[in-house]
Amino acid sequence: MNKIQRTLGVLVVLGVFAAACTADDTAPTTPDETTQTDPGTTDTTAASGSTDQTTPVAGQTGGATLDEVRARGVLKCGVGGSAVAFSETQSDGSMTGFDADMCRAVAAAVLGDATKVEFSALTAAERFTALSAGEVDLLIRNTTFTQSRDTTLGLDFGPTTYFDGQGVMGKASDGFTADSTLADVDGAVLCTNAGTTTEKNISEGAALAGATIVLSTVAEFPEAMEGFKAGSCDLVTTDASGLVGNMVTAIRDGEIQEGEWVVFPRAPISKEPLGPVYRQNDSQWADIINWTVYATFIADELDVTSGNVDSIIGASDLHPELGRLLGVSADELQTSMGLSADAFYQVISQVGNYDEIFSRNLNPVGLFREGSFNAQWYDGGMIYAPPAR
Amino acid sequence: MTTAIQRPTRPPFYRDVTVLKWVFQIAFLIGIVTSFWILGTFSIANLAKQNLAVSWDFMSRPVGFQVAEGFTTLPDSGFQALLVGITNMLRVTISGILAATLLGTIIGVSRLSHNWLVSKLATVYIEVIRNIPLLVQIVFWGIVVSIIPDLVVDEGNDGSLKSLFGLRILPEGWIFASPKGFAMPWFVPTDGRWQWVGFMILGAVAVRYVYGWRIRLQEAGTAEARGFLWAGGVLVAFGVVGIFAHAVTGIFGPVFGFLAAFFMNTPIMVFQIALAGLVAFGGYTIIRKRVDELRTPAGLGKLTDDDWFRLSMAAVVAVGFALFFLLRAGPVEALVGQGSVFGQEIGLSQLFTGLQNRFSAGTGAPFDFSLPALDGRFNNYSVDAGHVITRAYFALWIGVVLYTAAFIGEAVRAGVLAVPRGQSEAGFAVGLKRSQLLRMIVLPQAFRIILPPVGNQYLNLAKNTSLGIAVAYPDIVQVGQTIFNQTGQTIPIVISWMAWYSFVSLTLSAIVNRWNKKLKLVER
Repeated sequence: MNKIQRTLGVLVVLGVFAAACTADDTAPTTPDETTQTDPGTTDTTAASGSTDQTTPVAGQTGGATLDEVRARGVLKCGVGGSAVAFSETQSDGSMTGFDADMCRAVAAAVLGDATKVEFSALTAAERFTALSAGEVDLLIRNTTFTQSRDTTLGLDFGPTTYFDGQGVMGKASDGFTADSTLADVDGAVLCTNAGTTTEKNISEGAALAGATIVLSTVAEFPEAMEGFKAGSCDLVTTDASGLVGNMVTAIRDGEIQEGEWVVFPRAPISKEPLGPVYRQNDSQWADIINWTVYATFIADELDVTSGNVDSIIGASDLHPELGRLLGVSADELQTSMGLSADAFYQVISQVGNYDEIFSRNLNPVGLFREGSFNAQWYDGGMIYAPPAR
Repeated sequence: MTTAIQRPTRPPFYRDVTVLKWVFQIAFLIGIVTSFWILGTFSIANLAKQNLAVSWDFMSRPVGFQVAEGFTTLPDSGFQALLVGITNMLRVTISGILAATLLGTIIGVSRLSHNWLVSKLATVYIEVIRNIPLLVQIVFWGIVVSIIPDLVVDEGNDGSLKSLFGLRILPEGWIFASPKGFAMPWFVPTDGRWQWVGFMILGAVAVRYVYGWRIRLQEAGTAEARGFLWAGGVLVAFGVVGIFAHAVTGIFGPVFGFLAAFFMNTPIMVFQIALAGLVAFGGYTIIRKRVDELRTPAGLGKLTDDDWFRLSMAAVVAVGFALFFLLRAGPVEALVGQGSVFGQEIGLSQLFTGLQNRFSAGTGAPFDFSLPALDGRFNNYSVDAGHVITRAYFALWIGVVLYTAAFIGEAVRAGVLAVPRGQSEAGFAVGLKRSQLLRMIVLPQAFRIILPPVGNQYLNLAKNTSLGIAVAYPDIVQVGQTIFNQTGQTIPIVISWMAWYSFVSLTLSAIVNRWNKKLKLVER
């Protein structure tokens, strides 16, 4: 008995020492590992045009996301899953919507096949953790680009794909019109979903307008809509695109008459630039996402669609920028990004240009490009891509 | 046989069971602490790799979001936001425990009833409620709140409950129901309430003496005690008299004021020395008590090795804490209110300043009876009138109460059935009525058996309130989640959650254990 006890005791003590020693050993090895991976990563950053070699690569996935996705053969993309027209899970399990198509565009660029996407439906609250933890390679979940998210979350934002603004939706029977302002919401119960910029905007906006409100935050926006329909919420607030989408869907489903709900104020409460998010310190992956988005912009600018891309590519008077972008000219740049030369050709032919993606998903719910920030730059909008050269 | 008994020689220390036992214990402790330390270091290093630095800054920074209900809906810092969550959680927990105990006892006793219908209804209640997950029930009640008003509210009024299925049950304007929740008349506390509470504390002291006096009378054989009747009577008398005479407790105001000034102005060194002295004295008392227990008429008893270890550990801990208080002024400053915790001054001095203000307040009635009212063009319940039960609060409260009551009911039934049959038979034999038998013989004995499992149910109830997130009830979990969504500081928030729930659970079990110890059969 005693002997067993003693042996056990010695083992425990040894174990403790061993653990302590391992801890001491691992601490200094961490930087070593980073240095070891450094040359590889700097190579890729140099290749992709970045010359900043002194920046230490801190991300454990530094430069590796592309290889990971290639090895896996499928792109893991985080979307909302319940955002009308942006990402909606269909009854057969497929994902449709603007954000979903952007994911497909990236899959087409990286893997050459727009169908090789595994969608994860994430709540607003869990999206950033899922991306940081590597559960998804890319997050396109109507996520607003803000300074705090960019700086504190260890994530980076790609080019804005949809310029949105926060709105409030009320009932016409409560006396709301499209000209109502935030001062009119005094005394109301407002509902929105947790973990969004919306919460802060409406609190600050209402305080500025001198309105006292009760803000009730639910986990997912559809719950807020249920509360709005049932009457436990007087108003709902989120990005105007989401409000209009929900309103049009409700009208289409016959739940309400046209004009029963109104979205206001005319000038949005806030700027909500929505775009893709990826992990920080993986320049190669960042470049791929950015340029896939830009490729859809440029194709739209130059009127290349999924329908005419094949005829354009064979034409003798091919625009030099298109020649580079679609990978038919010798001076194409896709291979130096780690992609195949025809990567963006695949994007346009399989998914389409920006206008196609936009019209297909957002026009049916009453969101149009004309006159909005989402028009091309030469139409007075903000959709502007740097030149592909 | 006068040969000297050979004095037992001690084995060498490495074979001494007592020594080894303690060495193992300490080694085990070191092992656990080291593992946690390693885990902590690794997770912080991993987070740093993802460019996420763990920081508690959000506790003192403005949060910029609103909370749906609570003592303030616009918290000025992360710390205050969490405090709002904590008080909301306590509101549900405390009122839930009271209601679940009452309902559970009724259900448990009903199940034992000889009335077939009553007993079967109680059985059905228990079987239905405890076999449905609590989360489902809470969501269900959240939906019910949206439906009820359509059923019971008359068309054309403001949501005031006039009649139920055509039957007038309450005066108009007493109960309101809408998808946003309920509102009912309430005694709205006014500025004299703290003085009244002070008066009731005096009443509680009086009750203690009155109760003791009645028991002594019964023991002397001069009168029947009727202790509870007397105690209740005295408390009610104090409550009624207090409505008019509560202002006399205003004299406590200056006392609290003096204490507040004392804690604020005395040099911090004095408190450091006092606390260190207190800890040292506590250690000394523990050691002294143990030594005294071992004292025999023949003098100081022999201390075993085990005792030596315990006593020296107590001494080491006491000295350690005393040194900590002497050398580190920060925690002591925060405690007495000369420093701050997360940018909030919440020490003893602030506590007494608050009490001073409250006790020096007006001499008006402590409570106003107020009817609920509607505010603004959205017909929301006015927060100043009556009592508002929001949809989220109602759904969570009714959910945890009904659920916990089912389990408490079963514990009560088990406790009653565990009292030997002979006790009841003996009671009947001396001619007690069934109600007397239950009150005087069965329940007091059953209570002893009921308490431990019911204590566990209280713990469950406290922890289950975190499910309020499903109906957007802003408890500490929901508020904390909002904070980490905004700041990305998941780890500090999770630590805060764990610390808070551990604190509540440990406090509850300490109360239940103490009570249990008191009720234990005294064995000699």
